Amino acid sequence: MIEWIESVLGLTIQVGTVYLLASLGEIYAERSGVLNLGLEGIMVMGAALSFIFTLAYGHLAAILVSVVAGILMSLILAVMAVYMRLNQTVTGLALTMLGLGLSGFLASPEVRRVILLALNPLLPERLLAIQEAPKLPEIHVPLLSEIPIIGCFFRQNVLVYVSYIAAPLMWFMLFKTRPGLSLRSVGESPAAADAMGINVFRVRCVATMISGGFAGLAGAYLFLGFQPFWQEGLTAGKGFIALSLVILSTWNPLRAILGAYLFGGVEVIQYRLQLFGLGALSPYLLAMLPYLVAIVALVAVSIESVRKRIGVPASLGIPYSREE
Amino acid sequence: MSLRIETRFGRIRVERRIGYGRLYSISMTLLSLALAFLVVALILASLGLDPIKAFQVIFGVFMKPSLLLESIKQSIPICLAALGLSIAFKMNFWNIGAEGQIYMGMIASTGIVLLHAYYGFFHEWMVMPLMLLASFLLGGAWCLIPGALKARLGVNEILPTLMLNYVAILIVDFLVHGPWRDPKGYGFPLSIAFPEYTKLNIVLGEPAYTGLLLSILGAAAVFFLLEYTKPGFEIKVVGQSPAVARYAGIRVRSTILLGSFLAGGLAGIGGLSIVSGIIGRLRPGASPGYGYTAIIVAALAGLNPWVIVAVSIFFGGLITAGGALQMSMGIPKAAAQMIQAVIFLMILVGEFIKRYRIVVERRGASER
Amino acid sequence: MEKLVELRGIVKRFPGVVANDRVDFELRRGEVHALLGENGAGKTTLMNILYGLYKPDEGEIYVRGKRVELRSPRDAIRLGIGMVHQNFKLVESHTVLENIILGLREDGLRIDFEKHRRRIIELAERYGWRIDPMARVWQLSAGEKQQVELLKILYRGAEILILDEPTSVLTVQETRRLFEALRRMAREGKGIIFITHKLNEVMEVSDRVTVMRRGRVVITKETRETAKAELANYMIGRPIVFGQKKTSAQLGAVVLKVIGLKVLGDRGYPAVNGVSLEVRRGEILGIAGVSGNGQVELAEAIAGLRKPLSGRILLNGVDATGMDAGKMIELGVAYIPPEGNKLGVVPGFRVVDNLFLKAYRYPPYSNKFLLNWGKMLEKARELIEEFGIVTPSVLSRASALSGGNIQRLILARELSGIIGGIPRLIVAAYPTKGLDIGATEFVHDLLLRYKEMGSGIIFISEDLEELLLLSDRIAVISGGRIRGVLAREEADAEKIGLLMSEAVVQAG
Repeated sequence: MIEWIESVLGLTIQVGTVYLLASLGEIYAERSGVLNLGLEGIMVMGAALSFIFTLAYGHLAAILVSVVAGILMSLILAVMAVYMRLNQTVTGLALTMLGLGLSGFLASPEVRRVILLALNPLLPERLLAIQEAPKLPEIHVPLLSEIPIIGCFFRQNVLVYVSYIAAPLMWFMLFKTRPGLSLRSVGESPAAADAMGINVFRVRCVATMISGGFAGLAGAYLFLGFQPFWQEGLTAGKGFIALSLVILSTWNPLRAILGAYLFGGVEVIQYRLQLFGLGALSPYLLAMLPYLVAIVALVAVSIESVRKRIGVPASLGIPYSREE
Repeated sequence: MSLRIETRFGRIRVERRIGYGRLYSISMTLLSLALAFLVVALILASLGLDPIKAFQVIFGVFMKPSLLLESIKQSIPICLAALGLSIAFKMNFWNIGAEGQIYMGMIASTGIVLLHAYYGFFHEWMVMPLMLLASFLLGGAWCLIPGALKARLGVNEILPTLMLNYVAILIVDFLVHGPWRDPKGYGFPLSIAFPEYTKLNIVLGEPAYTGLLLSILGAAAVFFLLEYTKPGFEIKVVGQSPAVARYAGIRVRSTILLGSFLAGGLAGIGGLSIVSGIIGRLRPGASPGYGYTAIIVAALAGLNPWVIVAVSIFFGGLITAGGALQMSMGIPKAAAQMIQAVIFLMILVGEFIKRYRIVVERRGASER
Repeated sequence: MEKLVELRGIVKRFPGVVANDRVDFELRRGEVHALLGENGAGKTTLMNILYGLYKPDEGEIYVRGKRVELRSPRDAIRLGIGMVHQNFKLVESHTVLENIILGLREDGLRIDFEKHRRRIIELAERYGWRIDPMARVWQLSAGEKQQVELLKILYRGAEILILDEPTSVLTVQETRRLFEALRRMAREGKGIIFITHKLNEVMEVSDRVTVMRRGRVVITKETRETAKAELANYMIGRPIVFGQKKTSAQLGAVVLKVIGLKVLGDRGYPAVNGVSLEVRRGEILGIAGVSGNGQVELAEAIAGLRKPLSGRILLNGVDATGMDAGKMIELGVAYIPPEGNKLGVVPGFRVVDNLFLKAYRYPPYSNKFLLNWGKMLEKARELIEEFGIVTPSVLSRASALSGGNIQRLILARELSGIIGGIPRLIVAAYPTKGLDIGATEFVHDLLLRYKEMGSGIIFISEDLEELLLLSDRIAVISGGRIRGVLAREEADAEKIGLLMSEAVVQAG
C-alpha cells in the first residue's frame, strides 16, 4: 500500500515539476505585465537542445544551453512586445511556431547529425543516430530519502531539487524584496512605477527573460528528467497548460507548487487508469483531462478574480507608453 | 509615445509615424518577406545546405503544374480557416483554435459519411451537402465554446481556444483508434475510405479546382458579410472597441457569439476539405498545423479575404515544397514549419517598421 | 523670507496655444501659495514644468536661490520637490507601505518592513493622520489615498509640495484635515503650492494667491488683502459680453426628468451624488461647473452608457432608468460625447462608417439584413456639405480629420436626424471644446435650430460666456450635486462662480 502511494506521489512530483519550472518563470513575466505565449516553443527548443547537447557533451552542458537558449528566445519577445510594443499574443505565438519548427528541424536525424559532428567530432556513430539520451540520474538525499512516503520527495533528479529551492526563493524575491516590489508595481500600474522613477521597459524585459530561462529549463527537464526519447509533439501543449497554471495559482509561486502537482497528478491518474485496463476509457479520452482541467481552472478563476480584485496583474498584455 | 535613448550628443527617439500610404505598406511587407528568406538562407547555409538550391525547389513548386495543383489543394483548408480567422480577428477575438475547429469539421464530415455507409442514411446526392453543413455546424460550435466563455464570463479566449485544439485532436485519435476504425484496415487507425461521390471533385474531377472554388466562394461570402451586412458591420465595430459598440447601441454579447461561430464554422469546412479532398479518409494528425498556418496567412494578408486566397496558395506551396525539399535535398519536413515561423516574425517586425520611425535629434531645443 | 522657488519668465508653447506666457511665480518658505484659475489657464502646465515633466521653452527656474535645470521628475525629487496629481498614481492592490517605499533605494535587497512601518506611522502622526501602513490602497477612502500620495513625497524629504486640485475628491471633513496638515507643514518651513479653482479654499488655507488666466499671471496678492468676489473677477476677467441669442422657441412639455440620481464614477466613488433636474422641449438647460464634477457621468447615465446606482430617469414620462444605449437611442436621446473621449469616433473607420455608426440599422440605410451603401453614401455627401466637414471624401479614414472636423462629424451623426428623426433630447458635453470661432458659432447655431424644432437640450460647458449666451436656465454642478439653478435673467458670472466654488453646503 505504502509503496503504491509512494510511487504515485513520486510520479506526480516527477510529472509536476515540468509545470512547476515553466510556471515559476512565467509568473515573473506576467507579474510585470507580459504574457509569454512563446512558452511552448521555448520549452520544446529546450528539450531539443538538451537532447543534442547531452549526446555531445553531457547533462550539465545540455541544461545550461537550454536555459541560455530560452533567455535568448524570450529576448526576441521582450524586444518586440515591450520595446516595439507589438501585440504580445501574436508575437508569442510566432515565437512558439518558431520554436516548434526550429526544434523539429534541429532534432531531425539529418540535421542533428551535422550539428553533433560539428560540436563533437569524436562522437561514435551510434550516438549520431540514436533517438534517445541518457536520463538524468536520481539523487537520493541521505536520511531524508529513507522516510516512508515523504521520502519520495528526496529520491528525484537534480532539477526537481532545483525546483524545490526555486519556488520558495522566487516567492521571497517577489514579495519581500525591493526588486520584487518594483516588478509587481510595474505589472499592476506601470504609470505609478514610472512616476517613482522605475524603468518599466527594463523590468519587463528582465522578467520576460526569466520566464524564457525557466521555460528552457523546463524543456530540458521534460526531456532529460522524464522521458529522454525524442519524438514529435513531445511537449503536447504543456507550455500552454503552464500558462493556465499561472492563472490558477493567482501568480503566486507557492500556490504554483500545488497547481503543478495537481496537473501532475491528473496526468498520473491518466496513466494509472490506462494500466488498470479501464479499456473502455480509451487512453485518448483520458489524455484530454489536463486540457479540460485547464479550461475549467480558467473559468473558475475568471469568475473569482473579478470579485477578488487582487488577481490579475492589471497591466497584463497591455504595452506601456508614457502618456505625454 | 516614444522610446528615448539619451547620449552625449543628442538623443535617438522612436516615434509613431503619422499615416502611411498603401504603396509603402506593401513594399514594407515585401521587405519583411525578403528579410525572412535571408534569415532562412543563413540558417540553411550554416548547416552546410545550399540555400540557392533550396529556394529553387521552393519556387519551382509554383512552376510545375502537378506541384502547383498540389499546392492549391493544400491551400484550401488553410484558406478556409484563414477566412474564418479574418472574421474573428476583425472582431478582436483571438481565435488560436482554428486547428481544433478544423479537426471538428473533419469529425463531422466523417460522421456523415459513416452514417451513410454503415447505416444507409441519406441518398447519395445528399451526403456532400450534409457534410458541408455538419462540418460548418460542428466547427462553429467548437469555437462557440470559448466565444460564450468570453461573451458571458469575460474569459480571455486565447487559452481556451488553444486547449480545445488538443482536445479535438485527441477526439479524432479516440474515434479513429476505436469506434471509427476501418474493420478492413488491418488494424491501422484509419477510417474507411470515403466513397467517390463524397470526395471534393465536382469541378473537373479534381479536388484542387473544386477546393479553389470553395475558397473563392468562401472569400466572397466573408467579403459580403463584412462589407454589406448589418452583423458584419457590428462585428467590425465590436472589434474596434466594445465601448463604442455599446455607445452605438450594438449588443456586444450576441455579436461575439455570432462572430466566433462563423469563424469556427469556416474552419470546420476547411476540415471537410482535408478528409474529402486531400486524404480521402480520417486519420490521426490529418492536419499538419493548417490551423496555425492560417493565423500567419490571415496576418500576412491583412485580413483581406481575396488576398487570403492568394497567400494561402503561397503557403500551400511552402508545405508542398517541404516535401520536395525532403526528397531532393534531404531537408527534414520541419523546415517548412520553421520557414513559416520566420516569415511570421519578420512580418511582425515589418509592422513595427511601418508604424514607427527612428529620429535622431541633436541636443538643443526639445520638449523633454 | 527665503524664496524656495522662483520661476522667471516661463514660456511654454504647445501646438496652437501658448500655455504659459512669460509667467513669474515665487514660493516662500513656510507659505501656502494658491494658484487659482479656470481650466486651461495654464496652472497645471506651470507646475509640470516645476516638477520636471515639461521643459520650458523660455525662462528660468531657481530653487533655493540656485538656478536649476530639471530634466525629469527624478531631478525634481532630488531637489526636494514633490507633486501630488489629481489622478492618483498609486498601485491599488498593494499596501500603503509598498506604495510609499516604491523605488526607494536605501535598503539593500530585502525590505525592512518593520522599520518602514514605524517610520510611516510616525510621519503620519506628525500631520494628524492615522493610517495603517499594511492596509491595501483600494480599501482606503479618497482622502486617505491622498494622504498616501502626500506621505510618498514627504517620506523622501520633500520641502516643496505641489498639490493639483487636491480637494476635488474630498469630503468636508477630509478637506479640513488636509488643510490642518498643510498648515502644519507650512509651520515646519515647507512651501506648498496649491492649484485650485475653488475660491472658498483659497480664502481658507492660503497665505498668498496667484491668479492665472489664459496663460498669464493676472495678479499675485496676499490672501488677507483680498476677497472672493475680487478673485472671481480676476479669474473670469471683465468684461464679459452677456448677450443672448434670441430664439422664438416656446417651452413645451417636460422631456427629461431626473430624480435623485446617483451614478458611480470610474474610481468607485459616486460621481453624481443625488442630482435632480428637468428639461423641457425647446429649452436649453446649461450645466456650469469645472469639469470633473460629475457632468460626464451624468450625461452618460442619461445616454444609457452608465447604469445609475439609484434614482430615476424619466424620458417623456417613461421610466428609462438603467436602460442601455440602444434603447435610449430609440427613445430619441442623442449624446455628443466630450472631445478626446474614446466614444467619439472610430479612427480606423471611414467617414461614412462613422456617420452611420448608430443609424446604420434604421431604414432606408438598411433592411433586415443588408446595408444600403448607396443611400448611406448619398446621405453622407449631403451631411458633409451641411455640417461643413472638411474631408477629401466620404471614404477617407476618420483618423485623417482634424479635431474640429471630428466634432462636426459627431454632430452630424447625432443631430442630423438620420437616426429616425429629430432627437427629443440632446445631451451635449463640452461640444465646442477645442474648436475655433467659426466652428463654435456653427455648433451654437445648430443647437439653437434644434431648440426651435422642439428638442430639449442639456448643454454642459466650462465656458460661462457660452452658457450665458445659449441657455434658458443654468444649473451649477459641483461635487456631483446641483448647487443651484438660475434663470437666464438672474444669472451672472459672479453668482455662478460663487455657486461653483462652494464646498458642501450641509454636512455629508
